[in-house]
Amino acid sequence: MFKKILVANRGEIAVRVIKACREMGIRSVAVYSEADARSLHVRLADEAVLIGPPPAVASYLNMERIIDAARRTGAEAIHPGYGFLAENATFARLCEDEKIVWIGPTSAALALVGDKVRARQTMEKAGVPTIPGMNSISRSPEEFRATALALGYPVMVKASAGGGGKGMRIVRDESGLVPALESGMREAKSAFGDDSVYLEKFIEEPRHVEFQVLADNYGDTVHLFDRECSIQRRHQKILEETPSPALGPELRATMGETAVKAMKAAAYNNAGTVEFLLDGDRRFYFLEVNARLQVEHPVTELVAGVDLVRRQILIALGERLSLRQECLGQRGHAIECRIYAEDPKRNFLPSSGRVALLREPTGPGVRFDSGIFEGWDVPVDYDPILAKLIIWAEDREAACRRMAAALDDCVILGIHTTAGFLKDVVNHPDFRAGRTTTAFIEKNFSSWATGGEDEERRELALAAAAFDALRPSPGGAGASARGKQSEAATAWTTLGRWRAGGHEPRGV
Amino acid sequence: MSLVEFEFLVDGALRKIGVEDRDGTFFFSEGEVLLEAAVRRISANELLFRFNCRTARVYLARDGDRTLVSVAGREFVVTEPSPATRRLLEGDGRTPEGSIPIKAPMPGRVIKLCVREGEDVRRNQSLVIVEAMKMENEIQSPVEGIVRKIHVSVGEFIDSERPLVEVEPTKLSSLGGAGHDD
Repeated sequence: MFKKILVANRGEIAVRVIKACREMGIRSVAVYSEADARSLHVRLADEAVLIGPPPAVASYLNMERIIDAARRTGAEAIHPGYGFLAENATFARLCEDEKIVWIGPTSAALALVGDKVRARQTMEKAGVPTIPGMNSISRSPEEFRATALALGYPVMVKASAGGGGKGMRIVRDESGLVPALESGMREAKSAFGDDSVYLEKFIEEPRHVEFQVLADNYGDTVHLFDRECSIQRRHQKILEETPSPALGPELRATMGETAVKAMKAAAYNNAGTVEFLLDGDRRFYFLEVNARLQVEHPVTELVAGVDLVRRQILIALGERLSLRQECLGQRGHAIECRIYAEDPKRNFLPSSGRVALLREPTGPGVRFDSGIFEGWDVPVDYDPILAKLIIWAEDREAACRRMAAALDDCVILGIHTTAGFLKDVVNHPDFRAGRTTTAFIEKNFSSWATGGEDEERRELALAAAAFDALRPSPGGAGASARGKQSEAATAWTTLGRWRAGGHEPRGV
Repeated sequence: MSLVEFEFLVDGALRKIGVEDRDGTFFFSEGEVLLEAAVRRISANELLFRFNCRTARVYLARDGDRTLVSVAGREFVVTEPSPATRRLLEGDGRTPEGSIPIKAPMPGRVIKLCVREGEDVRRNQSLVIVEAMKMENEIQSPVEGIVRKIHVSVGEFIDSERPLVEVEPTKLSSLGGAGHDD
């Protein structure tokens, strides 16, 4: 067993990995930027090393500093989490050269699947269906224009080093091509340090269905079934679930076998995900391999009953996979909601500030993977994910209901979050009916505003603020509102609607 | 006990709420009675309301001069209005004379200016693109008008206090309380 693992990440995923280490009797080393000195992962790890100033390029993407931190602390392995260096083949190679175990695929497998264009070539050769598009990178606007014309609009601009929706743009006609290429390249450069982009045919209203795969270092490969990740905003997943309501047993088995075939073709090891698009005719296309632990890995853990982070560590140690495909199954239903520091009422602009109050939801089948705590200041330098709320229940309907209730129980004050928006998504009739495609949010939530039912909750909020001002909490923050005393006692003759009990506030 | 009245700003609207403690039962009113409830403080941040045999838990926290309130999964920011805000909200709610300062709702880095000084802009037209948290965010014009002044340049790190651009409206249009809600 490893004695010490360095976690080259921050936020909820660093916390997840640190906790797994502790359970396995492994000491953990956190790395952090100056913006994260007070962050949760730093508090929880056994050791913590400052690796640089707030910008990610100078800290969480700074390979030298992270390798140096591993050497100094004597960590034998590095877990990269997701994002930052997780799919960086150069960094994986650096670890290999330094004899530090990389908890993830080999640098060769990473280089192959991390390059979306080479991955497409490999999959085509292996007989895995791919989306029509460019099989090489281009810098010439003419070539992009010609390809787009040949594929037929709409087309999709994608970053070759891509992931997480960064650098992706939909182009509906020729006039939009050059601006989309420019802004896609700019975003790709800023997110990945590589501005290579390519074109693919845009598939209208597909579902996004992916398969979790585990492979040991000796070629044994199994899949842990599907995750439906169609609920997306700006190509970013915001809610994931398993099993997918779109798959029957046969299609699920076929896609699972294809995912295993794809990973074997790439000589892939450790945990990874094969993403597919599923079109309206239930044809599926290889999209890409996510060569890392996914944000949405918990839903698979709950339904397949496998601890993916623990498995990653065991595989990296060189253990053989003890799981056999025919013994794996899915039990119940799981949904994950990503809670972001964004303001849904202002077009999801990032929100920063202090977490003034945090009450985490609890209860049977409720899991809250969080990187935040009360009193913490959300930094502006990184992805705005705060926490993930993951629900398990016996079936999909029960899971939806449990999720809606748990989102109500999730209290985060001080910053805007997407929790209220997600509750409306979970309660939407199309979502309940399983009619989920990647166009779901755009179609149903293009202008989201909380409904009129809020007036009753607003009145209760006002009453609470008035009570708080009238009877401040002893030892509270003081500075309470100055009320005006009025000697004219009112006649309490009018029965308000709350007293009458006719229209009671919903959901209170 | 006598009635105590508070003026609060919530979701951009001015609300006057009265509260009276009658032997432990609190009467909340806004012209008419809103709520008659027994209220208990569970902790510094948690209140329990009981009315009509029902209970409602309300969480609150103070952040500077703001009271942050969570009711059944919905968050509200309650503030005391400044005299200037009160005047504005009690007025006709129309666009004040002159240019409107457009601020970024979050700190970030300016990566693109979409307009030039003197340019005509439509409502919801992109003015500036700001990168924050690795995402590009378009700052749009809330009104139809003319760009009078650009205060920032590409590459500059901006906070959410300083105006990015000033737009002078060509039509008198309601701003819907923009910039005053929290």
